[in-house]
Amino acid sequence: MNRVNPLHIIILLIVLLAFVMLKLNAAKEELVDTKSSYNQTVVLADKIKGLKSSYFNKTKVQRTINKILRSSILRASNITEKVTNSSILLTSKNMNIRSLNFLLGKILNGNYIVSELQIKQLSDKKASLQLEIKW
Amino acid sequence: MFWKFKRQVDTVFVDSNSADFHIESSVNVILSPSLYWVKKVSLPLQSLREVKPLLESLFEDMLPDGRYSYEAYKFGDEYFIFAYEDKYILDLLAQKGVPASKINGVYFAQNEFLHLEEAKKIDESEVILVKDDIVILLPAKFTAAQNMLDVTEIKLSKHRITLKQFGHILNEKSLYTIVALFVVLLLLVATEYIITLNKIDKLQTQRDNIFHKYALKPTMMQNRSLLKGYEESYKRQMQLRKVLGVVLGMHLKPKHKVKFIAYKNRKVTLHYSGLKKGDEGYIETYFRAKSLNYSAKYKNNIWYVEVKL
Repeated sequence: MNRVNPLHIIILLIVLLAFVMLKLNAAKEELVDTKSSYNQTVVLADKIKGLKSSYFNKTKVQRTINKILRSSILRASNITEKVTNSSILLTSKNMNIRSLNFLLGKILNGNYIVSELQIKQLSDKKASLQLEIKW
Repeated sequence: MFWKFKRQVDTVFVDSNSADFHIESSVNVILSPSLYWVKKVSLPLQSLREVKPLLESLFEDMLPDGRYSYEAYKFGDEYFIFAYEDKYILDLLAQKGVPASKINGVYFAQNEFLHLEEAKKIDESEVILVKDDIVILLPAKFTAAQNMLDVTEIKLSKHRITLKQFGHILNEKSLYTIVALFVVLLLLVATEYIITLNKIDKLQTQRDNIFHKYALKPTMMQNRSLLKGYEESYKRQMQLRKVLGVVLGMHLKPKHKVKFIAYKNRKVTLHYSGLKKGDEGYIETYFRAKSLNYSAKYKNNIWYVEVKL
């Protein structure tokens, strides 16, 4: 004849409901954090991808530099190219001002990381150049 | 293997005038007719299930105020219908020394003594007897009954009731309604919880996919550091282009020339030739107008300029 007091059942259900609601609340807070973290990751990934593909892409940098160097205007400048694991070094001991302007225009208007640059005027129309581009 | 032994349970007859009991183990209780209301009714209904919802209305206007439970049993083509107050009976039993925890089963005298052949004394003042199929109590002086009622060897019927200990707090219907409401709420909250967990899981999977797709470093700290490095390089390159733009875009006076331009370790170095000391004023004005942060010195007809990025 021992029966459970209905108030105990109701209190148990209230406690159970409160527990599940607390868990839900915690889960909702976690969802907000996860959403925020996801959005941050998307923004970060986009920025990294944008900069990496524009400025730090070895293949792309090498391909575009070679394309510039194949240009007819630079043929007479005897530009030597030295490629390392992290950079490309362009050197010319004697190049005319027109070729220099052309090359600098292409490099400075393009997406390249210029780590070193040295231009020395040799005469009114000639200059030497040393240019290092990194990725 | 487990063996279950049938336990012998004593039976007691309880009336409001009964003497106190000294109970040690569980007992079966037969309720005196003074503790319930009974009617024999003839109803055009086939089953007990159809009868039970009507019980309350069948006792309407007959019972004193109170919170009653109802029961019914089939008797030939008719029905015995009962009304009783759980709390009143439980309180009386407790008062007589039969606590709820010691009650094995509760029975109506109506069902247990239906076939009583002669009136029996339940105490010195009252007798129990059957009249028109209804078990009743009468003052002893109206009968010549001599024998006392003996319930020690009685074989109890299957018509057993359960007294609701907490029926006075909340009736069953309200309890079921409240419990159902809570269960529905619990289910809703639990469903939302599961949906939320799934959303979190989905977002985390998508986030992992981004790491894989963009070939990111394993931790956000590493990635933030990587991005910071990229952004600093980008910013410096923009500054370098701005400085070179200013230097190369400036119209110098005749004979004034830029002989040397170098950039290394965040520092742009410029050598101007053909300038006499003091000639550099117009260049400095131009640099300041373009917000260049520079330092300069004049030595051996060369004006040396250094711009820090």
